[in-house]
Amino acid sequence: MPRQANAIDFWRGFALVSIFINHVPGIWYERLTHRNLSISDSAELFVFLAGWSMALMVGSRKEPMTAGRLVARLGGRALTIYAAQILICSLALAILASTAYLVDNPLLLEWNNAAAFFQDPAVTQIGLVLLTHQLGYFDILPLYVVLMLAGPAIALIDKFARPLLVPLSLGLYFASLTVPFTAPTWPVPGQWFFNPFTWQAIFVLGFALARDEGVGAVVHRHINWIRRVALPVVLISSVLVWFNWFPDPIRLPEPKLLFLNGKSFLTPMRLIQFLALVAVFSVTYPLFAPWVPWLTEFLSILGRNSLNVFCVGSLLSLVGQVVRLVYTGSFIIDTIVVMVGTGLLWCTAWVSEWRDRQKASI
Amino acid sequence: MVHGVGVGMERSAKSKHLGCALAVLVALATLPAAGGRAAAQSAPELPVIAKECGEANLSEMPLPNSAIALQERKQIKILAIGASSTAVLGWRREGKPPLLEQMLERSIKGLDIEIINRGFSGELAQAAGTRIKIEVALNHPDIVLWQVGTNDAFAQVPVEDFEASVRETLQWLKAHNIDVILVGLHYMKQLAKNEHYQAIRASLQRMSSQENVLRIRRYEAGEILGRTLREAGRPEPSDFGLNESGYNCMAQYVARAIAVGLYAKPAKTSPPSPKSQ
Repeated sequence: MPRQANAIDFWRGFALVSIFINHVPGIWYERLTHRNLSISDSAELFVFLAGWSMALMVGSRKEPMTAGRLVARLGGRALTIYAAQILICSLALAILASTAYLVDNPLLLEWNNAAAFFQDPAVTQIGLVLLTHQLGYFDILPLYVVLMLAGPAIALIDKFARPLLVPLSLGLYFASLTVPFTAPTWPVPGQWFFNPFTWQAIFVLGFALARDEGVGAVVHRHINWIRRVALPVVLISSVLVWFNWFPDPIRLPEPKLLFLNGKSFLTPMRLIQFLALVAVFSVTYPLFAPWVPWLTEFLSILGRNSLNVFCVGSLLSLVGQVVRLVYTGSFIIDTIVVMVGTGLLWCTAWVSEWRDRQKASI
Repeated sequence: MVHGVGVGMERSAKSKHLGCALAVLVALATLPAAGGRAAAQSAPELPVIAKECGEANLSEMPLPNSAIALQERKQIKILAIGASSTAVLGWRREGKPPLLEQMLERSIKGLDIEIINRGFSGELAQAAGTRIKIEVALNHPDIVLWQVGTNDAFAQVPVEDFEASVRETLQWLKAHNIDVILVGLHYMKQLAKNEHYQAIRASLQRMSSQENVLRIRRYEAGEILGRTLREAGRPEPSDFGLNESGYNCMAQYVARAIAVGLYAKPAKTSPPSPKSQ
């Protein structure tokens, strides 16, 4: 039986729907997603909750897993995500190529960083497999793969040297911001859109805060005070975003990445605002969940099957982009894209759980 | 399989003689006007544009800040932003630098070109504008090479929103003494009657002239390329082959525009000041 609707699955489902919408640039419903009032967006929420889920996979300290089992379990998960990334990239390229052919629009072959593949497939295919070439809007899963590959190390540090986990993670985070360094792309020279050396911090914080010990225990104990500090941060950042009141990046002191609002490097401004957002909104789920059971059920089923839903959502976003191009985006077309898209996300989740039930009954 | 620069360069070689003649003609036409800071140095041999690319009627727009960089450092940093970087930089092969870099370094003796590629495909002008500011602050480029417009046109971004985003970024770059080269919308015969596409194109055209910014007329170049191909009995530009030839031509246009811009007469009104770094 699938687990009951809960806050983690709900917010994960929320992140998945937001990512689906935000990955169709120009769509009318984009203006309704929370990034219009928040410095951070659904990508931070997705990665944070991925870390949180990893903590649940690892289990509690009272029922410890052996180190070997930890590595096997988390490594296996990384392999599954990697396979998913390879599959959806392959399908995305096929969607672009077939649409370019059908609507006689070769520009589609350049969309979403696909040009390198269609120009020089031999080398770019190697890049796709190595995750050093990433299609536009298909760049979160490579980060997730790297983080899950680091998962055993994270879990083992947590198991044997728990107080070191968050300081080590933050140390790497600040080193990457101050030096600065990131992961390169190849064969097209450039950088990963999501710098894994900085984004690991939000993943590790998700992992640590999900635990009943260490940092997690401290935060749970003082959450009411934390919320009082977090609320003004959330409100002020909403005003900053709404009026675009950010300092001129050139006038900022060095190292600039410590003061910028940059998504690729998950700069401190974004990280702090995100943590404040989590602190504030974590109180809301029990308040609204009883009043909108259909919504909590809907988003929770998406969150429970997040990898499958994420993969299908990525492809549906691309299809949404194509539909808007071919049929000329309008409010009606955008509404159809969102309704059909979210409906198919739900179908994906339902089919995933149905398959699980079938397997369990054998 | 679509090839990149490698194939294009072979073709270029076939028309090398005519290309050289064109280059000499263009050089003769532009150099008398050159009186900028860099003009004191030996004039460059302007990058050759292959015959099949036709003449894209490149404007002679000075790049005053880059001219200072050339004079003082013999190095120019180019920040490439926008869709497929291959489309303007040319395809790199066998560890060689992109065609644009090769052409400029060959043309201007002793010049070191550094290309910082931060192109994220699919990005709209508003998001690119935000990222440009961050990348400029981090990398201190002399030129921002910005491919803009096609994605916004396809995403049906309202013209006024597009214009506000692009203009704000252009003005910010000018205020910080960064030269800008806009690479406009792609050409496709099928898009000639697409109202929104043409409106975005006209908007970019208007802004570049109002803000006095160099614009590579990619659409017009595509039209010329298409015509050249048709006249030569080659496939229509709506076929997949367009991009292959187009990439090579775009890199050549950009190289030519930069080389001309470095030696063009600076605007009389506002002499460039040192960068506010």
